[in-house]
Amino acid sequence: MTTGQMRTKLLVSLLTLSLAICPGCARRHGPSVGGKVVISVWHPWGGTQKERLDQVVAEFNRTHKHIQVRAVFTPNDLNADQKLFTSVAAGQPPDATFVDGPQVAGWAEQGALAPLDRFVKQSGIEPHDYFAPCWQQCSYRGHIWAMTYCADPNFAFAWNKKVFRECGLDPDKPPTTIAELDAINDRITKIEHGRIIRIGIIPWSQFGNANSIFTWGWAFGGGFYDPKTDKITADDPRVVKALEWMTSYAKKYDVSTINGFRQGFGSRDQNPFYIGKVAMQCLHISQLDDIATYAPDLDYGLTYIPAPPDGEQHSSWVGGWCLAIPKGSRHPKEAWEFLRWCSHDPKGTQAVGRLQSLLPGCRTSPYIKEAAKKPGYSQFLKIMEECRHQRPVMPAQNFYMGSLDRAVDFAVYGQLTSRQALRKSAEETQAELDLRLAGR
Amino acid sequence: MKKRQSTTEKRNLRNGLLFCSPVIVGLAVFTLYPMLASLYYSFCNYPMLKPPVWVGLTNYRVLIHDPVFYKSLSNTAYYAAFATPAGIVTAFLLAVLLNQKVRGMAIFRTMFFVPSIVPMVAGSVLWLWLLNPDYGLINTILRSMHLHAPGWLNDPATAKPALILMSVWGVGGWMLIYLAGLQDVPVDLYEAAEIDGAGPLQRMLHITIPFMSPHLFFTLVMGFIGAATYFTQAYVMTGGQGGPVDSTRFFSIYLFQNAFMYWKMGYACALAWILFVLILLFTLALFKTSARYVHYGGER
Repeated sequence: MTTGQMRTKLLVSLLTLSLAICPGCARRHGPSVGGKVVISVWHPWGGTQKERLDQVVAEFNRTHKHIQVRAVFTPNDLNADQKLFTSVAAGQPPDATFVDGPQVAGWAEQGALAPLDRFVKQSGIEPHDYFAPCWQQCSYRGHIWAMTYCADPNFAFAWNKKVFRECGLDPDKPPTTIAELDAINDRITKIEHGRIIRIGIIPWSQFGNANSIFTWGWAFGGGFYDPKTDKITADDPRVVKALEWMTSYAKKYDVSTINGFRQGFGSRDQNPFYIGKVAMQCLHISQLDDIATYAPDLDYGLTYIPAPPDGEQHSSWVGGWCLAIPKGSRHPKEAWEFLRWCSHDPKGTQAVGRLQSLLPGCRTSPYIKEAAKKPGYSQFLKIMEECRHQRPVMPAQNFYMGSLDRAVDFAVYGQLTSRQALRKSAEETQAELDLRLAGR
Repeated sequence: MKKRQSTTEKRNLRNGLLFCSPVIVGLAVFTLYPMLASLYYSFCNYPMLKPPVWVGLTNYRVLIHDPVFYKSLSNTAYYAAFATPAGIVTAFLLAVLLNQKVRGMAIFRTMFFVPSIVPMVAGSVLWLWLLNPDYGLINTILRSMHLHAPGWLNDPATAKPALILMSVWGVGGWMLIYLAGLQDVPVDLYEAAEIDGAGPLQRMLHITIPFMSPHLFFTLVMGFIGAATYFTQAYVMTGGQGGPVDSTRFFSIYLFQNAFMYWKMGYACALAWILFVLILLFTLALFKTSARYVHYGGER
């Protein structure tokens, strides 16, 4: 081999190498297939919900000649939003993304999302088209950052009628006050040799510690945040009362025993409520379908969340997923069409409702009337109509959730009093919020 | 003549560097640059999507007043202090047992090695079930022996011991290292010792362990570094929270939470550098003192 040949060879191999370590440099613009603009949408679902979303997407693609949506699974819960952030920071975000309600303000403040006001105006969408908390959840600092994909009225209170009958309780009389709830719980809970056989309710097991304290805190008449003064009010005396009540169960039955009992269950066919191990629970709207699939024989009723007489009657808050356009999206116009269709369009919201068994946040959707006729959904609709709360819309919301999680943990494990735990949470979240607001 | 040689040398150097360049570039881009960048960010307020803002020593100042920082540090120290020795002792005993001449030894060796190739997440899920207070195998056995059945991961007092117990299950890799080392111990030394009347314990203490000391030292250092950066199992088994009541909030979990839950990249970088310096100091201390208890063959 001559030196020249060797040089060429070396050059070729170096070139190949540089191409191999630079895969992201190639395509800046999204592909277009057969005149269709292909847009990517990141979603958080696996399992049955993913299959159902795929049907919604297929329906969108069928009705839109020029846009094709490609749904990409990207894990996203309140613990893991680094994926979107890194993609935005790298200038390679998806065209649209799902975002959990309490994430919206934080993501907007961080600059991960593009404001939608212009599109909203062009499409003639009005705030009162939506249930109030849904719209509030997506509005931050005078702009709209996301569109509600589904509204979760959190929660309906479910009770197991069969267990009620077994315990000599009236199966058609669910508890309406906390005192009644406690009395019923005492009748139902069965402990043998230090092991829980059945329990009435586990107060802090309503979709995580933080969601539990939100649920009971509001039911007890408390508040978590004052948007006018940007004040965190976790140590509101009524929230403290709610946590004290939750903690009373931890004292009554030993917290490790209860949590050990919880650890044995799963979310679907092993859900402790479906199999009668836990007789009362706050129920999420998506569980109606779960129960029909995994526990069709479950005899249960739905009502409002019990509250003390001086608390908030028929208390609830809204959750649910929204759709947003990340900053740097390459096809914002096409992405907006997907957002609008899923969130506001009569056909689209109907598809989301029918195919995914979720409730649209848009109250003008024809699906709302349809859902009212379906068993179970009517109760959730009634809750939605009366719903007054959404989790605080402020940039430190994910920090707040984590902090409340720990506060409940410390209180139920008896390491801090309820007041101490919530005060600590309020203080640390306030500091965090002030820091983020100062960093504007 | 002299000049010619230096051009050859130059050419060799250039070609050598060219051939090494993938590694050099790789190290520079993927290790050196991130390290330096993280050092810079540790002096910044950096929420990832906005440009970092220099804040000097603020992150470090906040850090020394942060109770969770100390809690996570003590959790990690606790874990390292117990899991590393427990792993070394177990792996060593296993290796000694598996170094006997018994029929079917290959099967036993495989059996004890297999757990260490189970992926960490899968192993964690498996152990969640073993440690389940009501239905888990461990508590079922304890109950059948009329012993106290602890709440394991649901009780702040037993959560860390549960994780340490689980870590001992995966010592197959170390066991293999010891096994290789044991086969290198000269047989004639044992014979000579036996003739001189040394019992099994004396042979173990005065021949096996000194000969094995480089292997033991290697696993001690690696084990300590592994324990100091302990993350996956605790993250999976506590749902990323580090509960109950912070008892499994290890240093790396707290670091991860700051970086990717709270977007405090600057603070997380400061935490990372503290951890790096602590590991460095401790490892240096181990090396400095190692001359006293580590014996390399052929050295005095």
